[in-house]
Amino acid sequence: MAGALTERDFVEKLEKAGFGDIEVHLRKQVSVDDLALYPLFTDEIIELMRTLISSDRLEAVATSVIVTAKRRAGHLSP
Amino acid sequence: MHSDDVKDIVREAYGAIDSSTEAVAYKLYSPEEIAGVPRSAIERALGVGNHLAFADIERGETILDLGCGGGIDSILAAQRTGPGGRVIALDFLPEMLERTAAAADEVGPDNVQTLEAEMEAIPLPEASIDHVISNGVINLSPRKRRVLAECARVLRPGGKLSVADLTVGDEELPPEILTHPATWAG
Repeated sequence: MAGALTERDFVEKLEKAGFGDIEVHLRKQVSVDDLALYPLFTDEIIELMRTLISSDRLEAVATSVIVTAKRRAGHLSP
Repeated sequence: MHSDDVKDIVREAYGAIDSSTEAVAYKLYSPEEIAGVPRSAIERALGVGNHLAFADIERGETILDLGCGGGIDSILAAQRTGPGGRVIALDFLPEMLERTAAAADEVGPDNVQTLEAEMEAIPLPEASIDHVISNGVINLSPRKRRVLAECARVLRPGGKLSVADLTVGDEELPPEILTHPATWAG
């Protein structure tokens, strides 16, 4: 999650890589409770999030997006 | 953080998973989808969405699952592309590939092949893939531009990309969280 892009940056990188017809189909807020389902997020980091992140952001620390795109003909990024 | 450091963190964190993540599977997938997948794959569901619900998978497609993990998406995609198509399940963790192969063997059809590789350097020919799918993996790469360029390279012109992934807002999280190894792996 620490390396995640904004949706705008993600779409821009897709365009630059040679994709078109880019559609964002779904956006779903990801809460700290959602992250706690994944063992990759240890109890320590979940507790740190609950302590350091303002209460109004705990329900939306990230967004899960579903994106589809098609490779454009004749364009490949270097 | 350096690229190799991030990879080491991801490798260690995913290799250390020893508890079931079936709650993730039940949250993301329909009962019908889960019914067709072996328990071993359900117990290692680590995706962040159900991109397959929006992926226009056609019979006979050659599909690349970028970062297949425990194999749940590879198996669902293999069922949809059918015996005339195939799924190449790519991951850089051998233990995930073993789990995917075992789960695919259990349920069939016999059209899933595993590939140990990094998503920044996909060892497949140009324009050899009809559809790239990926679930919660691209955000883990320190070289996302390279990953997307590789996806474009291996896809045939007009080929499809269907991705679920995490994004963040413009307002950054506290530095203590952004620099914690767990948030680079998850």
